[in-house]
Amino acid sequence: MTESKKEEKKQASDEPKNEKRRKFLLAAAGGVGVAWVGAAAYPVYKYLAPQPVPDPFGEDGKALVDKISPADVARPGTGKNGGYASRGIIVLRNGDGDLKAFDSKCTHAGCNVEFQGDKIHCNCHGGNYDLTGKNISGPPPKPLTELKVFEQDGALYVSRLEPEKKG
Amino acid sequence: MDTQQTHIPKEAEAALPPADSRMGKFYRALLKRYPIWPVIQFFMGKKVPEHKHSAWYMLGGIALFLFLIQLVTGVLLMVYYKPGQPWASVNRIVMEVPFGALIRSIHHWSANLMILTLFLHMFSTLFMKAYRPPREGTWITGFILLTLVTLFGFSGYLLPWDDLAFFAVRIGVSEMEKLPVLGTFAADLARGGPDVSMETIGRFYALHVVILPLLVLALIALHLLFVQIQGVSEPDTFAALPLEKKKYRKFFSDFMIGEIPVWLFMFGLLIALSAAAPRGLAPEANPMGAAPEGIKPEWYLLAPYQALKLFPGKLELVGMAIMGLGPLLVIALPFIDKNVPTDKRGEMITQMAIAGLIGFLGMTIWGLLS
Repeated sequence: MTESKKEEKKQASDEPKNEKRRKFLLAAAGGVGVAWVGAAAYPVYKYLAPQPVPDPFGEDGKALVDKISPADVARPGTGKNGGYASRGIIVLRNGDGDLKAFDSKCTHAGCNVEFQGDKIHCNCHGGNYDLTGKNISGPPPKPLTELKVFEQDGALYVSRLEPEKKG
Repeated sequence: MDTQQTHIPKEAEAALPPADSRMGKFYRALLKRYPIWPVIQFFMGKKVPEHKHSAWYMLGGIALFLFLIQLVTGVLLMVYYKPGQPWASVNRIVMEVPFGALIRSIHHWSANLMILTLFLHMFSTLFMKAYRPPREGTWITGFILLTLVTLFGFSGYLLPWDDLAFFAVRIGVSEMEKLPVLGTFAADLARGGPDVSMETIGRFYALHVVILPLLVLALIALHLLFVQIQGVSEPDTFAALPLEKKKYRKFFSDFMIGEIPVWLFMFGLLIALSAAAPRGLAPEANPMGAAPEGIKPEWYLLAPYQALKLFPGKLELVGMAIMGLGPLLVIALPFIDKNVPTDKRGEMITQMAIAGLIGFLGMTIWGLLS
């Protein structure tokens, strides 16, 4: 009789303590769970995250222009679509006889634009650029990215446009 | 006798074929092992209200049928499709594999008809006001299903790796990239780099053939479970009828048998469309070439395509934000319009839905003609 009463009393005094323990264990389990999910998710994210892209201009700072030869753009007013480092490019010779090159990725939604003689046109949403790469009508928000183009050993090469030559 | 065996209820005894027949023996053996009589009874009691708009109840079943066609043709395409040589392997399916062009065209047409059916299913539910409480769960799972099916279309579009696929996905992902905060992060993760490339194929392929099917199957199960538990919604005019005037059809097997000819018709339509307008394969994607002339999105994207044209340059984000409100409003519907019978607010919602539908159709036609 006295034994069981003692037992009851002990249980009653244990309850708030148990409640505290319960809360602590739940919080600990939650914390361990979050840590576990984080630890598992990090390698999965790193696995899926894009690999760094190699510099298109390579070690020597230039890239060969594909599908456009110097003869294609010999006369003022000529131009052509081609490629460099698996991207699209437009090389043209303007009325002043200067060679110009633009990355052909449209600044609006990323289609490749087309050289059309008097302008550069995008077939996807009808954007237009002039022959200096400036956006003149349609949705494009800014000019095309200009590249520096030059002839070397009978082929065309492009490199990054140097800041002082800009504007 | 083993105590684990269960007792067959009296109603079941009465409904089953005679105990000495083959089927009778089979059913009794089944029910002795698995006490599923209440489940069978539940399904036998399932009924569909009969009124002049009853035909719209078939759309969910049609969408399900088209999804089954997608599973079958999709698995068949997977047999020859190689994510390492996407264009060449699809070209082989079309040019060399017997009936390959047909299987691929059915997959294409079934996808398109499924999206059309889901649009109709959504609008019929909308106009019958079936989204109101207690059916919020069905409405929301249905909306998520429509979103997932659109993602299905988008991810599948890239897989043939032709010119059309390349530029369509480049545009789609670059629109996503413009979203503030997480846009670039999400776009890079989707593409596997700063541009759509062969890296993107692996990601879209895994999404298209594993992740999305699992998600869609699980959500279909949930969507149907909700419908089973709550029963088909009754329009206001039908619900207001006195009990003796309400007519119902049993789902098993009355309604279901009525759906079989519709499914067969859809199957015939798929074959006819695939024969009359087989899905073409454009030249292999050339990330260096200019986008082909006259390139346009699929019909279901023409409305946002045309609408975004109204927001040129930097206003585009504003246009995207306005269009983003549409889906949010659709999800919120059951929490805005709750009252049965329809009150003023309910009528206003219906009018807004009609305006939305007309706007969508108008934009689609304008986009088609422009």
